[in-house]
Amino acid sequence: MLQPKKIILLLFLIPFVAFSQEKITLSGTVYDNSNNETLIGVSIFFPEINAGTSTNEYGFYSITIPKGNYKIQVSSLGFTTISETIILSVKTTKDFKLKEISESLDEIIIEADIEKINVKTPQMSVNKLTAATIKQIPVVLGEADIIKSLILLPGVTSAGEGASGFNVRGGAVDQNLILLDEAIVFNSSHLFGFFSVFNPDVIKDVRLYKGGIPARFGGRLSSVLDIYQKEGNSKDFNLTGGIGLVSSRLLAEGPIEKEKSSFLIGGRASYAHLFLPLFDNDNKAYFYDVNSKINYRFNDQNNLFLSTYFGKDIFGISDNFVNKYGNNVVNLRWNHLFSDKIFSNLSLIYSDYFYGLILDFVGFEWNSGITNFNLKYDFKHYINEKFKLSYGINNIYIKFNPGEIVPNREDSGIVADKLIDKYANEFATYIDAEHEINNKLTLQYGIRFSNFSRLGQDELNIYANNQPVIYNQQFKKYEAAVATGVENFKRSDIISSFYNFEPRFSLSYVLNDNESVKASYNRMAQYLHLLSNTSSPTPLDVWAPSGKYIKPQLLDQFAIGYFKTIKNGVYSLETEVFYKNILNRIDYINGANLIANNEIETVILNGQARAYGLEILFKKNEGDFKGWFAYTLSKSEQQTKGRNTSEPGINQGLWYNTPFDKTHDISINGSYELTKKWKFNANFLFQTGQPTNYPVGQYEIQGLNVPIFDDNRRNADRLPTYHRLDISATLTPRKNDNRKWQTEWVFGLYNLYGRMNAASINFRENRETFRNEAIQTSIFGLVPSVTYNFKF
Amino acid sequence: MKKIFLLPILLLFIFTSCEKVVDIEVPSIEPKLIIDAVFEIYFDENPVRANTVVKLSKSADYFKEIIPAVTNATVFLTNLSDNSIINFSDTNADGNYKPTISFIPAENITYELTIIHENNTYKGTANRVKSSPLTSVTQGDKTLFSGKETELKVAFTDDKTEDNYYLYDFSNNLFLAIEDRFFNGSDYNFSFFYAEDDIKLPTTVNVKMSGITKEFFTYYRILISQSGQNAGGPFETVPSSLLGNMINITDESKFPLGYFHISETDSVSINLIEKN
Repeated sequence: MLQPKKIILLLFLIPFVAFSQEKITLSGTVYDNSNNETLIGVSIFFPEINAGTSTNEYGFYSITIPKGNYKIQVSSLGFTTISETIILSVKTTKDFKLKEISESLDEIIIEADIEKINVKTPQMSVNKLTAATIKQIPVVLGEADIIKSLILLPGVTSAGEGASGFNVRGGAVDQNLILLDEAIVFNSSHLFGFFSVFNPDVIKDVRLYKGGIPARFGGRLSSVLDIYQKEGNSKDFNLTGGIGLVSSRLLAEGPIEKEKSSFLIGGRASYAHLFLPLFDNDNKAYFYDVNSKINYRFNDQNNLFLSTYFGKDIFGISDNFVNKYGNNVVNLRWNHLFSDKIFSNLSLIYSDYFYGLILDFVGFEWNSGITNFNLKYDFKHYINEKFKLSYGINNIYIKFNPGEIVPNREDSGIVADKLIDKYANEFATYIDAEHEINNKLTLQYGIRFSNFSRLGQDELNIYANNQPVIYNQQFKKYEAAVATGVENFKRSDIISSFYNFEPRFSLSYVLNDNESVKASYNRMAQYLHLLSNTSSPTPLDVWAPSGKYIKPQLLDQFAIGYFKTIKNGVYSLETEVFYKNILNRIDYINGANLIANNEIETVILNGQARAYGLEILFKKNEGDFKGWFAYTLSKSEQQTKGRNTSEPGINQGLWYNTPFDKTHDISINGSYELTKKWKFNANFLFQTGQPTNYPVGQYEIQGLNVPIFDDNRRNADRLPTYHRLDISATLTPRKNDNRKWQTEWVFGLYNLYGRMNAASINFRENRETFRNEAIQTSIFGLVPSVTYNFKF
Repeated sequence: MKKIFLLPILLLFIFTSCEKVVDIEVPSIEPKLIIDAVFEIYFDENPVRANTVVKLSKSADYFKEIIPAVTNATVFLTNLSDNSIINFSDTNADGNYKPTISFIPAENITYELTIIHENNTYKGTANRVKSSPLTSVTQGDKTLFSGKETELKVAFTDDKTEDNYYLYDFSNNLFLAIEDRFFNGSDYNFSFFYAEDDIKLPTTVNVKMSGITKEFFTYYRILISQSGQNAGGPFETVPSSLLGNMINITDESKFPLGYFHISETDSVSINLIEKN
């Protein structure tokens, strides 16, 4: 029998088999006609020979087909399709400029073949959102939000309103790879999860990979959220902005050298005191983010981009405590065409996440964070119209600062202390092929090799029998072991090293023009762990690298799906089932303290996780009425067994629900364009309540009333079902016609029928009646909002 | 510590969230024996006195209003250095067992607490844990969130020679457990804030500071957070069973809850006055 690796090798060789006809390469870039932004995912299609390609993340395309005269269709959703005849006799470079549909209403719109191509490509489990869609979805307080919009798609949930991050197919928040212009973003939330850190005005393209993840991505298990920012209008100077209840946005973009070089700078800031209306001036609560970008097009072969992101949250009450956190990203990229068939991108990226806290009343300041330097070199090789190769390398150097404490005033009595810094290097190389076997069958297959080295640090603890956690047989509980000594290392030493081969495979088989089936398998390795034992992560949670005591998380995911377009793409149906299995998912011993813990290994137990489910997405893509219906039926569980038969593990070693397990998840989104002036949008969400824990009894000790929780039924109870309806209306005044100053009003009502959805249920003794009661906390009732957007 | 770090988050919820009492059906278990044996030795007083009550009760379903006292148990303490026995009796038949002779736990002695109840024998041991006296407890004028809190400034000198853990009892069931990891050996001071509904000014509060073991510190930290002093939210840690240091030597599966601990305690009363 052939080993999988050999099969892959064989597959790579197939396309090199000689072909007879002379072939010509057509390549170029596709732009948005209005602002010269490059366009991602534009389909370039030759109907006569049923061949096609699409533009990459930088708008570039290349296709090699036999010499001849062809009809060519260049199409993208929301743009008028270009349909023309092209004579291919010599190697040709051709750029296209697509016009937005609204820009060219009187022209004839050719219904694009986009959906047909989508049915054909093996990539599955991907959801795409455009900035326009995101801006129309009604959200709380009118703040257009990428992550809150993603949650409306099948397979994506969050731990609730005001919970940070998102969960993909039963995966944890820390298992999402969030890339902003290829740079890793560690924290995706502002204000503890109420808003996401991405300014919707700056976003060009958002793609969420839930499965069948291509080999060029790695380092996180569950998903890749790939966000590209605009480059800036290189035709005209433009101002875009919005004024909302929570924050205001302003974006300036324009040419530096016309059609060659452009800049973009965008900022967003929330209003101080939003959540503290009752108090006077010395309280602060706000966030801001600034995105900037400069690009320079040297020639057709070379393009340089410099982009930055700075975001911060500041939350303080007088000088008693101040809480600050945020991400910084600086990113330099160089696009280079080695030939009309080889596109390359070199990225040098710095990114960090910082969390700081000043607590004056106990007299200290706390700082923690993570810093990384990332070098990526990615190639896309358009070998012929049936075969494309992607390959590249990626190296990330990571420094972890788990925290340091310093006295914040002279008389504080706090002795400065620092948790041991940790260092690591993550290297990966990959090769990935997109291979059309015949008209019906297309494959995408590849492999990623990843290596993670934990580098030398000061003082690594040593434990008896290599066991940082011990089980106390007498008291029936897990306890932290006491270190028996420490090892010291040089920075250049490698303490532990891991490597993994991560095969990726997907296929699509076209049944007919409108139907296809797809299947995929992917293995992923994740070397970083976010230490969090709350049901949703908090900004102060720290990242920990794999090493001597924590093993890398490993995932295997299988998915199979059926895809259908109806009425030439007016409707589409996507159904998928998935199963995933995760090894080395950590959980924590009872009462583990994760904050400022220098010996985190002493509170960690190793376990596994699994998730499986069914996703259905039915969409209406065109017409005055558009929208989708999404349903997910899934299960997400975790298991932490004892290390030997005398230990119980967690929940007696049996499977238990993860805190984000939601059996049913329905979301419906609809938008209706009544007139050119009025547009309406509505969302409806219905979800099984989150797992929680109810007490099984009570007792009294030292005057305190204490609930009893049963360790053998972890996460076995549920919060009440979550549901709500949101609506919004967008008013585009008529006077906008023929003038430069364009405006728009968005009115929203979040949670229209004011359902008090439970964010949590807590149990406590009433301080007056001394009776025990269950308290349900709800975050948002009915919230009206209004946002004013403008473009100049 | 976790609680302090999470304060800003909890705070955010106060301003955006809404709470209501709901009816929930909760599961129930066989009642368990609860052993509340936290001894305090007032070492800085003259004469030294001690609180050595062993309180026995049974656990109840969560929404039951009465927690039954256990009055028919046999309770005694064994000095493991000489195997001498001190008997305890429940003279008021209210579940509070007191030594039948006047007794102050000595230093460097291991005491074993034995409880025999319904044919099950429960045992646990404890040593007297050293502490430092409070240097000062004063009222301050700072506030925390609402501007209506009352500040209590606490100062003491930590012992540099060992890792110390302390438990503060600020009256009205307000407790705080801290460790000296970040202030070992220094003159340390911090502020505690009474919320508006914690106390009615003017009033007198009794502040107690006890030296505790590392295990009791961990236990108490969870006890405080699970007893509902914290408001909830998605940032609450997963609640878990809270096992103490008493074991059932007759039947392991019927494990008791509660703790046997002996601490040195300093106590100060302070009059809190209304400010502006």
